[in-house]
Amino acid sequence: MSEHITGIDYQTALANLRSSDLTMREDLPPQDELLRRFHPDYQDGARIKLPIGPNAGDYCHPELAKLLISQPLINDYDLSGAEHLNTDVLVIGGGGAGAAAALSATEAGARVIMANKLRIGDSNTVMAEGGIQAAIGADDSLQQHFEDTFKGGHHAANKHLVAQMVTDAPAAIRWLIGLGMTFDLAKGENNNGHLSRKRAGGTTVPRILSYRDFTGLEMMRVLREAVELDENITQLNRHPAIELLSDEHGRCVGAILYDLEKRRLILVHAKSVVLATGGSGRLHLQGFATSNHYGATADGLVMAYRIGAKLKDMDSFQYHPTGVAHPPHLAGALISEAVRSAGTKLVNGLGERFVDELLPRDVVAAAILRECREGRGVVWDGQVGVFLDTPRLIAGDPDVLNRLVTLGHIAHKCGVNPAEEPVMIHPTLHYQNGGIEIDGNGESCVEGLYCAGEVTGGIHGRNRLMGNALLDIISFGRRAGAAAATSGLPLKKVRGGVGHVHNLQREMTRAGLVSEVKAPVLYPNYGKFDLREHAGLQEQQS
Amino acid sequence: MSNSLLTLTINGHEVHASPDASIIQAYAHADNAITANVGCMGQGVCGSCRCMIRKEGEREVRTALACETKVEQGMQVSFIDYFIPEHIQYYDITAIGDGWNWLEDTQKAFPEAEHCRHCGGCNRACPKGLEVENGVAQVVAGDFGAAADTFDQCVMCNLCTLSCPEHIRPNHLGLFARRMKAARTLRPVDLMRRLREIDSGKMKVEFDGELAS
Repeated sequence: MSEHITGIDYQTALANLRSSDLTMREDLPPQDELLRRFHPDYQDGARIKLPIGPNAGDYCHPELAKLLISQPLINDYDLSGAEHLNTDVLVIGGGGAGAAAALSATEAGARVIMANKLRIGDSNTVMAEGGIQAAIGADDSLQQHFEDTFKGGHHAANKHLVAQMVTDAPAAIRWLIGLGMTFDLAKGENNNGHLSRKRAGGTTVPRILSYRDFTGLEMMRVLREAVELDENITQLNRHPAIELLSDEHGRCVGAILYDLEKRRLILVHAKSVVLATGGSGRLHLQGFATSNHYGATADGLVMAYRIGAKLKDMDSFQYHPTGVAHPPHLAGALISEAVRSAGTKLVNGLGERFVDELLPRDVVAAAILRECREGRGVVWDGQVGVFLDTPRLIAGDPDVLNRLVTLGHIAHKCGVNPAEEPVMIHPTLHYQNGGIEIDGNGESCVEGLYCAGEVTGGIHGRNRLMGNALLDIISFGRRAGAAAATSGLPLKKVRGGVGHVHNLQREMTRAGLVSEVKAPVLYPNYGKFDLREHAGLQEQQS
Repeated sequence: MSNSLLTLTINGHEVHASPDASIIQAYAHADNAITANVGCMGQGVCGSCRCMIRKEGEREVRTALACETKVEQGMQVSFIDYFIPEHIQYYDITAIGDGWNWLEDTQKAFPEAEHCRHCGGCNRACPKGLEVENGVAQVVAGDFGAAADTFDQCVMCNLCTLSCPEHIRPNHLGLFARRMKAARTLRPVDLMRRLREIDSGKMKVEFDGELAS
């Protein structure tokens, strides 16, 4: 995004918008060509081949590769004197996938320790606005949900995982209602009526169930409360995991945590581990602003790669079409797809539409980047973007802001009256499409290591549809938690160490790779956190 | 956009920030390690960045979410850690009955709720401007529908819990009402029908000639 910005200045563009009859440009290239030329995944420097590790030879984003092939934060001599804990299941990550896994593990009779980098609930889940997909409409079917998801992901997903997830969806909604989550009802209907359904980009029928436009908040506050009231779950907030533990057979048998309050390391031994650490948006790949939570720094991928887990599609990311472009201090903040679903049009600086707003997200994002790159974007205060035409939407449906509460809030923060002025938007780094390869129970190729949520790959292929992330975390979170609860070695036989880290370091040496980078990074670089300094760990005398 | 920076104090550190910045942005770009009291960074939904604020020249200390509050010259800010009170009545939503005992259930899970002394502390503490005190009265009276509306936009920042002299935990009480209402009364007909179609094997996914299990 360092390229020189040209475009149409805001005032001119605003006049063009107001006098426009919203004709559609007819020159959109075919989808393949559009993605190849304008989607960030396909640009120069967006992928390299991993030199070593379980995915040697596979493509990966270079920034991520730097973290995967790096130095650990700690060495085994740092572990002397560390406190020891043990549990049946260790869940790492306090978002929706981690909470669903923890609750399902205790339902299956396990004791659970849940380690959260920040606090339970501090995650992308709580920020999800749009909703959750479940094929419950009379005009809909599991088959259609399956096909939309598979096609939307460019036929790159694992069909078995997709089929399983869409089949789980209605039961997942029932489970959430059982925990006390509310869903919107169709207009004028009561609690025994039909659920309200919204259309997502790339789907054939309306399939998104939601609670207003803060579905993730409603989901997470219910899940968090259920976890906090479950006496078989021990919460360790502000305890980031910094390495997994392996036994002499390479099985995953726990993790090393860092207690931020007491500034010390803790070894947690577990029969099995569920990794639910989320994605990597806060790495700001390609210099993009992000809609992600502060903690989304790819920790799980780094730890899993070191212990030998195979990854998938590590060069595929989702850039959500409608991030805020102006004012600059809010850049990247998300405007929900629900706003386009409700009928809002995207308009360039010339007052033209240029893409069907309800195509899959990668196509819409690429089309917006094309307008900006070819000089038809709107330029304001050094920021470039296109308009999201909220004034026409609100003029046609004056009540819409009651449904789109968050749109009203964010427009207010942008200093915009959405009934009078459009919001200026630009694609924002939103989701990590790839991740750790799993089977139907969320188990990775490393025995004892289960994974759920954004840290996994194979479910969404190379592009995720709106509403499938919240479904993914519940479907696979529950399956991973239940499977982890009934697997693994008796705790007495468990003895873990960091031998797998040394293995990867030896591989680096053999390949002549030198890295000064220490990972996982835990917080974005502006978080300015140095674990060794914070913990007062001595550097080894060489 | 102004180029002149404002000066304020956050957790005892002097911080310089652009007038457009929120408190959390100012803090993130100051020179401190940030490992807590931060989350969604601007969306105002995670409730993690709760803080106390005193504006220059004012005596009153007010509470706010740092990601939704703009910096001001001379402002003093202190973040408040999340905490869980010592005594919590554990309740199990999956063990609840048929809904005729809402009042008894409420009394058992939140025995302090009827001791509300109407001091208004919770209302002043709420960064979202909810009518918290009213919501507490609604739950105690058994009007779960009204209470669910009152607490609709609660982000569970816990500031009302911190402020309550009777240890009522109003946000948790509100969520209890919301959860009970959904768990006991939400029975969507379309969802029930689809679940039956799946459970009976009438609807499934087929691909490549194989059946998904």
